[in-house]
Amino acid sequence: MFSYLHFPYLSLGLAILLIAAVASLPKFHGRSPRRLALYGLILSIIAFSLAFVQMTGQPGVVLLDPILPWLKADALDGLHLVLYPLVAAVAICLAPRRDITFHALSGILLLVLGTEVIYASANLVLMNIGWWITCLPFVLGMFGDSPESKYTRIALVSSAVMLMCATFFFQSTDISNMSQISHWCLIFLILTVIIRKGLFPLHRWTLQAFDTGPLLPKSLLFNSHLGALLVARAESASLPEYAHQALNWLSILALVTALVTSLRGFIEKKPRRMLALVCTSQASFILAGLLAPNAVGVMGGMLHWIVVMLASTGLIAIVRILEVRVVDVADPSSHLGLAVRAPRLATFFLLCGLALVGMPGTMGYCAEDLLFHGVQDHHPVIGISLLLATAFNAINLMRLYSVLFLGVLPKNVIEIPDALPRERWPLVLIMVLLIVGGIYPALPLALRSQAMQTFHLEPSHAPGH
Amino acid sequence: MFPMNAEILLYIILGLPLSTFLFFGISWLLGFSLSERWIGRIIKSLYGIMFLAFVGILFLVFKAPDHGFKVIIGEWFKVGSYEYPLAFQLDKLTLPFAGLTIVLSGIVGCFSITYLHRDPGFLRFFLLLVLFSFGALLVFTASSLDLLIGGWELVGITSVLLISFFQYRPEPVQNALRVFATYRVADLFILVSVFLAHQWFGAADWSHIQAINAADFQHGDHSMAVSIVAILLVFAASGKSAQGPFCGWLARAMEGPTPSSAIFYGAISVHAGPYLLLRVEPLIRQSTAAVWLLFFIGSTTALISTMIQRSSTDAKTSLAYASQTQLGIIFVEIALGWQTVALVHVVGHATVRAMQFLRSPSMLSDYHRVHSGAGGELDATGAHYDVIIPERLRRALYCFTLHRGYHDAIYERVLFRPLRSMIRVLKMMEGKASDKS
Repeated sequence: MFSYLHFPYLSLGLAILLIAAVASLPKFHGRSPRRLALYGLILSIIAFSLAFVQMTGQPGVVLLDPILPWLKADALDGLHLVLYPLVAAVAICLAPRRDITFHALSGILLLVLGTEVIYASANLVLMNIGWWITCLPFVLGMFGDSPESKYTRIALVSSAVMLMCATFFFQSTDISNMSQISHWCLIFLILTVIIRKGLFPLHRWTLQAFDTGPLLPKSLLFNSHLGALLVARAESASLPEYAHQALNWLSILALVTALVTSLRGFIEKKPRRMLALVCTSQASFILAGLLAPNAVGVMGGMLHWIVVMLASTGLIAIVRILEVRVVDVADPSSHLGLAVRAPRLATFFLLCGLALVGMPGTMGYCAEDLLFHGVQDHHPVIGISLLLATAFNAINLMRLYSVLFLGVLPKNVIEIPDALPRERWPLVLIMVLLIVGGIYPALPLALRSQAMQTFHLEPSHAPGH
Repeated sequence: MFPMNAEILLYIILGLPLSTFLFFGISWLLGFSLSERWIGRIIKSLYGIMFLAFVGILFLVFKAPDHGFKVIIGEWFKVGSYEYPLAFQLDKLTLPFAGLTIVLSGIVGCFSITYLHRDPGFLRFFLLLVLFSFGALLVFTASSLDLLIGGWELVGITSVLLISFFQYRPEPVQNALRVFATYRVADLFILVSVFLAHQWFGAADWSHIQAINAADFQHGDHSMAVSIVAILLVFAASGKSAQGPFCGWLARAMEGPTPSSAIFYGAISVHAGPYLLLRVEPLIRQSTAAVWLLFFIGSTTALISTMIQRSSTDAKTSLAYASQTQLGIIFVEIALGWQTVALVHVVGHATVRAMQFLRSPSMLSDYHRVHSGAGGELDATGAHYDVIIPERLRRALYCFTLHRGYHDAIYERVLFRPLRSMIRVLKMMEGKASDKS
């Protein structure tokens, strides 16, 4: 069922992002590019929030933009339309000064713009355009050039090409009805997901992406979770049975990725790589949840999506902040003992990390509880394997925490600042969202309940059964 | 129906430590610094009020017709047919454990105000102590396995953070990580058991689990299900109480400050395992394999630990192995069905061991005082072993105990080495680029 937004919130939000991206370029720069980007993001968050509020008031209705009707706000993506620019704003706030170049800011805003276009796209052509926009900042080298970034570029471009091929074979632009999906289209869709999400055996590019260059754009790239979005869109469309079975293979691949990357973390020493492995592993759970044939698993997957977005942004930002302050953080030879100098950063890191691996009292706990119950109900082996992967990830995160924050402080680290006010408030915001969502999970569940209704679940597993 | 007063009292004993934790944590994150004097006052008042509330609950429970009642608040969250229950049980099994937690945490708290005076981690210790109290009380009052896991994990995390309390020394940091890894692996058993309980039995609350009767099931598969869940719970309890395959971590945990050793490894945390076993005892009793496993784990750990304890050269390690021995005996008592004996043993052991841990820094002074009180040097005990055990066997046993039962070496050879080889193969599969790290 379709209706129209009261105001063109979506086109307005996207236009603000585009203007901010262009205005951040060196030719047009003002004195404070960070402030300009933040203003742009805040205005777009307000616009998308208004669309989201109207959408929650009209359950089961897809709201089209009155000016650009191929943009829509629906239950599945409405929350992410708000959450993603919010995460981007937090990342920009937390970014060290040396990472905030004009090009980098413009690139981040382009990345946000592309991702928002994909979230809001009502047809496959627009989704393709958004997909290519997300590749642009990396292809143009807006975040700097490093030998390893070629893997990132290749992966991003090939995923965009795969999506184009899928669109070509789909023979229609309407995403909501996939009952006539061809085998070739399905194959290309699955390949797009595998490449973009970095599923085993193609998980290497995410490691390479995290390994060099500015971390925060990579964090935003990682947290767009476009592979998961594609799966969610496909699952909510009327897919034929063979397509469901084919997508179930993605669930197996997600499980293998979760296990392999969690195990790989045990012999990794570099903080960036450890983070990449833990985040990739935890992000794979989202797919396993979304592909579960019951409401519990799907809801778990959707909550976990939010948890990964928030917690991984906090973790990645803290590692980057420490890298800038202490040169040894990039490749520590022993424990760095930074908790003595930066106890608040240590606390934020620990809380974000524990939330990511499901500590009680955080949203991660509720998400993982639902996810494991849902997946276990469907396939016990996958459920138990996901539990194993979480346990390994928790050990890896604690290893990383102890390497960075515990032990003897190196002699060359005399005085470093703890969390600055600019860093403290965004981190507090992340913590508040994770903890409030954990203590009162009914709130995030209510926000995602409409999205869950869009999934085509087996009758016995439908919500409320 | 439950009495209204009990609900309020339960809110007090669970809500106060949680709100104190949030108050300490948020005020610190926002840059406010509480003085030691104020922290001390808050801690004393907290445990004082909690004790009074506990006495009220004690009175109400014994006044209740069946000496126990359930406080149902509702569900924490619900999706489709699955709901996470928010219900608590106050009965004759809950009370000793909850009482021990409040009283001993209060004593340890008061002791630590002086013991940790001017320590840089003063606030951190109390922050973790109150979070631990909340977690432990959640474990002992939860009316289902689902809610118990929440407290179970909080107890584990606070325990690990207190082991690494002296973070500027490498040993506590390494040992904390090792203990955390052991906890995570052991917690897998309880997590899997709760998911399987939901799937096979339909629910994981105590009344449901205790009512399960394997003989009622028509098919062998179901009695197998009962056995699997029971065995998983036995392993989960073993992990928390440092028994059987998980017996290596307790000595490592001694790196933390003495008050935390007293409350975690002498008094409360390690006794969460026997609590779980006592709670699900009717289920374990349905499975012969689980009962024998429990007996085997308890007896072997008790035997090995008592030998290691005798060759330990420092007070806290010796106390850790002595704790392990007693916990092994408690496991055996539960396996034999002596529930009341096990409960009395738990209460006695927790109290005495907490006192011993708290006195361990003054052990030499105590030793001399006891000897002078007795009017001279007391004879050393254990001389009869020289007569009973042949010398060669004594040497072999001594070697065995010095290596702490070859526990670490066995794990290294059987588990860690193959695991590392497998991970290296995985790394090689990623190609050359990842080797640049």
